[in-house]
Amino acid sequence: MLFKALGKIAQTCVVLFVVSVASFGLLKLAPGDPIQIMLGSEYSQESYDSLRSELGLDQPFLVQYADWAIQFVQGNWGTSYVARAEIFTYAFKEALPVTLTLASFSLVFAILVGVPLGVLSAIKKDTIFDAGSAVLALTGTAFPSFLLGILLIWFFAVKLQLFPVMGYVSPWENFWLGIYHMILPGLTLSTYFIAMITRLTRATLIEVLEQPYIAAARARGEPNWRVVWVHGVRNIAMPLVTILGLQLGVLLQGTVLTETVFNLPGVGQMLTSAVLGREYLVVQAGVMMTAVLFIGVNLLVDLSYPFLDPRLRTSK
Amino acid sequence: MEPIDHKKVLAERLSARFGRRTVLKGLGAGLLTAATTGAPSLVRAQQSGHIKIASIKVIDTLDPHFTGFLSSIQIINNIHNGLLKIAYDGKNVTFEPDLAESWDIEDDKVHVFKLRDGVKFHDGTPCDAEAVKFSLLRVKEGEPKSPHAWKLALLENIEIVDPLTIKLTFSQPYAFLPVALNGSTGRAGTIVSPAAVQKYGADYGRNPVGTGPFKFVSWKENDAIELEANPDYFEPGLPKLERATFVLMNEASTALAALFSGQIDGMTDCPMQLVDQVEAFPKATLYGEIEGNYTFVGMNCKRSPFDDINLRRAVAWALDRDTIVKQAYFGRAQKAYTPISPPMTEFFDPDIATSGRGQWFDLEKAKSYRAKAANQGEIEAVYMMAERGPVGTRVAQTVAPMLAEIGIKAKLELVEPATWVKRRNASDFDFYDFEWVADLDPDETLYPEFKSDGAWNFGGWVNTDFDDLCAQAQVELDPAARRALYYKAEDLLMDEAGIAVMAHMPIYKVFSTKVEGFQYIPADLVNLHTVSIG
Repeated sequence: MLFKALGKIAQTCVVLFVVSVASFGLLKLAPGDPIQIMLGSEYSQESYDSLRSELGLDQPFLVQYADWAIQFVQGNWGTSYVARAEIFTYAFKEALPVTLTLASFSLVFAILVGVPLGVLSAIKKDTIFDAGSAVLALTGTAFPSFLLGILLIWFFAVKLQLFPVMGYVSPWENFWLGIYHMILPGLTLSTYFIAMITRLTRATLIEVLEQPYIAAARARGEPNWRVVWVHGVRNIAMPLVTILGLQLGVLLQGTVLTETVFNLPGVGQMLTSAVLGREYLVVQAGVMMTAVLFIGVNLLVDLSYPFLDPRLRTSK
Repeated sequence: MEPIDHKKVLAERLSARFGRRTVLKGLGAGLLTAATTGAPSLVRAQQSGHIKIASIKVIDTLDPHFTGFLSSIQIINNIHNGLLKIAYDGKNVTFEPDLAESWDIEDDKVHVFKLRDGVKFHDGTPCDAEAVKFSLLRVKEGEPKSPHAWKLALLENIEIVDPLTIKLTFSQPYAFLPVALNGSTGRAGTIVSPAAVQKYGADYGRNPVGTGPFKFVSWKENDAIELEANPDYFEPGLPKLERATFVLMNEASTALAALFSGQIDGMTDCPMQLVDQVEAFPKATLYGEIEGNYTFVGMNCKRSPFDDINLRRAVAWALDRDTIVKQAYFGRAQKAYTPISPPMTEFFDPDIATSGRGQWFDLEKAKSYRAKAANQGEIEAVYMMAERGPVGTRVAQTVAPMLAEIGIKAKLELVEPATWVKRRNASDFDFYDFEWVADLDPDETLYPEFKSDGAWNFGGWVNTDFDDLCAQAQVELDPAARRALYYKAEDLLMDEAGIAVMAHMPIYKVFSTKVEGFQYIPADLVNLHTVSIG
């Protein structure tokens, strides 16, 4: 068990190394020049050259990479070229919490809505309710999130004035105000996942409800709610956790659009503006954080299986 | 030969530029005196209210000497002052003293500025002649080099006469001077705190310290820039607001929704496509006029096929500007005939449409030039475009069918903005379109973009007569003579169709009706000095 976990962690390190080299290299290969962007349209060759050497961009690729990697591991992430922002503060202390709040809020919301909806669909299989939830799920998957976001803003924030249009308040500082600001963006981001979780729950539960031990429970005379919610729903945990781990990429991708529409200062907005501005170091920090998050969550998913399924606890 | 009275010429020129009131006041002591005296006001302003304004575009740095964006200047201008500032009375753009209390001209190359007494930077250090010298030198020869250094290239000597008097000697008469010494668009004349520059070095752009009505508080990336009132500001009774927040946003439609719901009080930039919605909303006031810019279709004169003058002329006459304005600019822009734009008060020709100068849509003429072109077959040309600016790719899509009319097949290539910049700078295109936003003077409108070896002459049009005319105009102080030189230069550019000029664009700002006292200036400025909120 421990050995297995260590192996996973070693694997993770290799993956991170590959990711860092690839993202560093790809950005250099992309056309466009941070210095030209920094200097705008008004600059001379001298200012170009002096800035280039000041930023170390005249060094060979490997030197630039090694420089960056050594500093990065020590937590010294550098300053952004143009705005001179301290990247560690900007990316890790300011942007990451916003994205984590948004992502976790959406995920919790999606589970709280998706699982009951899926369970009900499974119990009421092939009824109007089931068909309705299928339509809802299909719409949720197909509806572009940025459009949904804008529609929600116009209806709930501008017309009804129920929620704020935009902005972020840290739930650590003001919990309820933070949640209040998260409702519209959370709803926007979670539609896709609500749909997915509903369908997954329904499919899994229908299968589970045909298992012999469910029949046994019913034969024991346990009430229907207990059969479904205790014996049945428990079995959803495994596939649900697996799929959420795999779909984390989609979630993080979704935060980019959601953050832009609702003007949340998270990793998504940071990455977008950094890529457009060729802020190599900021992009690099963003990619690394996202990669660590993605790999870390999947590592946790792997490690969580024995807890979710007792059959996996006895190692062979 | 009668000697030329430079002082008189310059005085006349300046009187045309500065408001009448200012000149009358100035006739006594120096040539010019600011309307208000320099002594700090004893009556402290009572500040109240917190304004929140969405800033839609990129803020690169708050260092006035290094920024490349007017969106940054919008904020910088509330923190800093220049030696001079831009003023606008609804008709004329003038350049008025700001930190300078008076401006005396010893001869056409020597300028003496007397500074306001008692002005302090936000860090408490005095804004005196030393500070002005420091700032000007920082622009002119600082390391790293300021992108605005060229604006002070002719500045030969800076002499501190006394703590509040500074004498600037130029190597030539310098007609661009009022713009260069400006704190707003000119940037080179913005005065920064020497102590703060020494303290923060390259990070001054995140810790700006000026003399302006607002002090810098904080800048959170992709979130907001916070300012608070400077209670010791030198203009009596100002500022009126207690706090100002510039909310940094990427998505203009979200900003508009936030404005409509009352979450913010204004937008530093309202893209043309949203103007209809703002006009229909009763609780918002729209500000915007045609500003100092021109938009054009650029052609690559360095290589085939547009090294052919007749083909370029054909393109210039084939563009239906009415349609372009309607379809690409949402009917909001104004047709342009030449680059010089309306807010350049003394240089724009109000009768340009009937003057016969420049170019407009004339398909017959276009076809006759096309018939003279060397290549009579169908020509395929790469039109490079990017999602950039308010009109994005709309211009290219509107122009392409017009080019087809004269047998030019434009291959539209959509590239990402950074690639666009790189390819433009390397002259790797046949066509591209762009909007040149100029400091409010014809020099910066024409010369650096079209002089033969100009750094921004991406199309590579070369005409040495044009270079000579612009060089002469730079040192010509008589406005009428200078105007005549620029008209000749423009005519050369238009005749040889170095570019095909399309339109002058309006730039819009919008505020909630709660916001009062905003003074619009057609230089993309958001000065909050006189703004209050109900």
